[in-house]
Amino acid sequence: MPTGAPGFAARRSSYASVVSGTASGISQPYQQASRSGALSHLLNQSTDLGNYDPSPYGLGGHIRHDSRTYDMDFGTNGASHRSSGSWNRGGHLPSFSSAYGPILDGNGFGGTQGDSFFVPSYLRGSKYVQRLEESYKAREQAHVDGPSTQSQSGSLSTSGSSTYLQTRLAPSHRGMTYDLIEKAPPFEDENLAPLPSKWNSQDKFGGLEVMSDGQEVKLTGPKPDRDRDHEASSIGIGFSSKTVPLSRLPGWEPDSWAYHGDDGHSFGSQSTGKHYGPPFTATDVIGCGVNFRTGSAFFTKNGDNLGVAFREIKGKLFPSVGMKKSGEHIRVNFGQSPFVFDIDGMMSVSRDFPEFTFLDLATNLSNSHNLGLIPGTQLTNRHILRRRSSALPTQNSRPSNVAGAAERPAECNDDKTWSKREDEKRAIHQEIASTSTAKLAPPMNETDLIQSLVLQFLTHDGYIETARAFADEVHSEKSALALDKTTVVESFSVKEDKDAGHRQQIRTAVLEGDIDKALKYTDLYYPAVLQNNEHVLFRLRCRKFTEMVRRGAEMLQSNHKHTAKKSNGQNGDWHDGDWHDDVMNQDMEMDNQQNNNNYDRMDTEEGSDNLMEYNQLTQATLNYGQDLERQYRNDPSREVSKALSDAFSLIAYQDPLNRKEVSHLVDPKGRVAVAEELNAAILLSLGKSSSAALEKLYQQTAVLLEDLRDGGGSGAFVNIDDFARPKRGL
Amino acid sequence: MTSSTASTATPLRHAFERRVEEVKPMKSDINALILDYLTTEGYPSAAAKFSKEANLQPLQEEESVRARQQIQHSIHLGSIQDAIDALNDLEPQVLDSNPPLHFSLLRLQLVELIRECNSKPGGDITPALTFATQQLAPRAPTNPEFLEDLERTMALLVFPPDNLEPQLAALLHPDLRRSVADNVNKAILKCQNQRRDAAIRNLVRLRAWAENTARDAKKNLPARLDLGLDNRDDRNENGHEPMVT
Repeated sequence: MPTGAPGFAARRSSYASVVSGTASGISQPYQQASRSGALSHLLNQSTDLGNYDPSPYGLGGHIRHDSRTYDMDFGTNGASHRSSGSWNRGGHLPSFSSAYGPILDGNGFGGTQGDSFFVPSYLRGSKYVQRLEESYKAREQAHVDGPSTQSQSGSLSTSGSSTYLQTRLAPSHRGMTYDLIEKAPPFEDENLAPLPSKWNSQDKFGGLEVMSDGQEVKLTGPKPDRDRDHEASSIGIGFSSKTVPLSRLPGWEPDSWAYHGDDGHSFGSQSTGKHYGPPFTATDVIGCGVNFRTGSAFFTKNGDNLGVAFREIKGKLFPSVGMKKSGEHIRVNFGQSPFVFDIDGMMSVSRDFPEFTFLDLATNLSNSHNLGLIPGTQLTNRHILRRRSSALPTQNSRPSNVAGAAERPAECNDDKTWSKREDEKRAIHQEIASTSTAKLAPPMNETDLIQSLVLQFLTHDGYIETARAFADEVHSEKSALALDKTTVVESFSVKEDKDAGHRQQIRTAVLEGDIDKALKYTDLYYPAVLQNNEHVLFRLRCRKFTEMVRRGAEMLQSNHKHTAKKSNGQNGDWHDGDWHDDVMNQDMEMDNQQNNNNYDRMDTEEGSDNLMEYNQLTQATLNYGQDLERQYRNDPSREVSKALSDAFSLIAYQDPLNRKEVSHLVDPKGRVAVAEELNAAILLSLGKSSSAALEKLYQQTAVLLEDLRDGGGSGAFVNIDDFARPKRGL
Repeated sequence: MTSSTASTATPLRHAFERRVEEVKPMKSDINALILDYLTTEGYPSAAAKFSKEANLQPLQEEESVRARQQIQHSIHLGSIQDAIDALNDLEPQVLDSNPPLHFSLLRLQLVELIRECNSKPGGDITPALTFATQQLAPRAPTNPEFLEDLERTMALLVFPPDNLEPQLAALLHPDLRRSVADNVNKAILKCQNQRRDAAIRNLVRLRAWAENTARDAKKNLPARLDLGLDNRDDRNENGHEPMVT
């Protein structure tokens, strides 16, 4: 066992526990929501820090309780031994892997909320993972928003893939099954390949059963056996494309590649194997890594790299496992917990910076059952795999691909790639830091360029006061640097720009939530803009409605606090979510408290005032909502109907500020997007570019990096946010 | 997969440009970048105005930014002694704990003394010599680079100022002041536990690197990726003057 075993096991179980905790339905929906909220919050923070180590965070909090659950889950896994062959395919793994499939899939375990986002160690800090995470969050959000919208957008893609899966499922004549974990990415992001996170419970051979959290697969089905298979036990671990039949072990079919446990051979799309590594059996941990950059794959066994198994691998691949004997049981770690093999170390060492992405399956196989969870062991379990006897494979390498493959066996598991990958990343970051910017906008040097970008941004976006102050400071700097004091250093000129000032006024109004004011100014200064930009007007109106709801909720909240406080005694220590939003209200309460003797009376009075005002506001809000509805209900655009239903969903909650389902909709942060959309529309109406040069530079960078990520290029480890986002606050 | 599938036969509008427009940077990110820059690099008035106009929490008090800026300004002006004094008032441990930084300031001070003496015919080189002997020479043996820097700087006294080899001429260029000032600023920030490089610099370098790398990889890019800094005036007549001159 690798040295890190104990820690490894413990962390692993903590992860598992979270998953199974949710799966077991312990939590009430509300609790779940808050739990996942907390989790995503953590993720967020860690993104800012540039990396994320799943183990120490909130997950640990649930360990004890949940691991009990976990034990129980395992308890049900007993199996009998029958022979059969089948294999699963796991998640998509195009260039990288990813993790959110589950929510969407819905066919998983433990309901749709049971899956948490995870980042395999070797991908930490990569832009890819970050995009996945955003997408994951968006999906969660959508999920929370309400089933109706979700199912709309989700079902299209989901059903696409499930249809496909159905076909797959038709019992194949050979009688084996597979699982495919494919996740259909919900909306947007068709380009974003998800990471595998669990086995697909649909795309599998019938006799296979996906268990517990989706990471385990067991062959249970009565086996149609082929003669030669009876006693045979064999497990094949590898990857395959989506179209490969599920009835035979991976490796034997075209477009599938695998390492087989019975003979230790590697099978690259054909039924004759090549001598590759040692056989493996129950309790072994096998890792599988694909380097999409070089098109090669390797395996590891119990933490030792067995060397390159295949080359010239292409296509959209899914992790796949297959087994033949009933009772065989495999558990796979898709990166939710640390890998046994030092994949991180490998990443940082490899000189040419392979983009490793891949799948690492740490698998365990087993045949039997009882996986009691022993605390320190790898979770996976011990099962015994029977050694296999025969079956087709034998030696013989296949000619073409395996050119260099005589190497050694590999097993993989994975854990450590982290530090290596950090080294790679560091090297690239250093390269970037030393890149000259001279070619960007000659003849400006870096400092001049940045000063120009900043000043242009400030004027473009209407920060006129700032622009002037900055121009003065830059001028003074340049004058100081001029050796010849007689030279006149030209200063930047910041012209009075009426438009900039107007736009700034409008923006400020929106950011303050005063949509009426923004509408008024816009009509005043740019009467054509709202007429020509119906969608912007619509956004503003929706926001206005939202602000009305928000105001109502705040009123209610302050009232409620008051009451709560009263019942607690005035020094009650209430931790209310948004208390800081309500400083004013607190102050009011303080005042009240000075009259301890009769605060009851005051409460009542204030309460009724508030109540009246609240009722009026509510009425106005409803009226406004009805207007909106009337005006836009026939709008065919999905965006519009979604926005309307989002907005109207707010009414359903008494306290939208604190309901996870909708609180994001009323968050003041939502104002920013509206303000910017309006600002962009105004700029366009003035014939100006809607983005400043600095934004354009950002946009270009984002697109360039996207191109550089293709095919696992060096852009993969570069996350624009690592550069463009100030790390620690000053 | 989004990559270069667009045909090159559409010269009018490159697919790249379209994709660029689809990227929507968050305004809040850009604003944070600006405030970070103004604060980090020492533009106190602009930083204060910006946090007001953009409704952002200041990253550092205006006085702190201004204190750093004044030190930088002294260095930009060539008033090195003023800068050293101010720095010692502000963060006394900066120079003590960073001999190379201290040396580079003193070396710049020597450069300024030499510049002074070169500026008039028959200038007196005594102040420069005295300063070198008293301040720099004792430090030089502690680090081979110091010694080399000192020797090179002293060479300025030997050669006629109007005909220097590039390496020596660079010492007299204002860029040396700027880079020393930047280093001092970073050292102060570091000592205050603040981050050092303004993020916008990283972004700009990243942009340069990404274009270089993408071109090397033969990605399908327009011949020129314009930032839109210079031609915006062509586009709107009532726009601003060119920003930079």
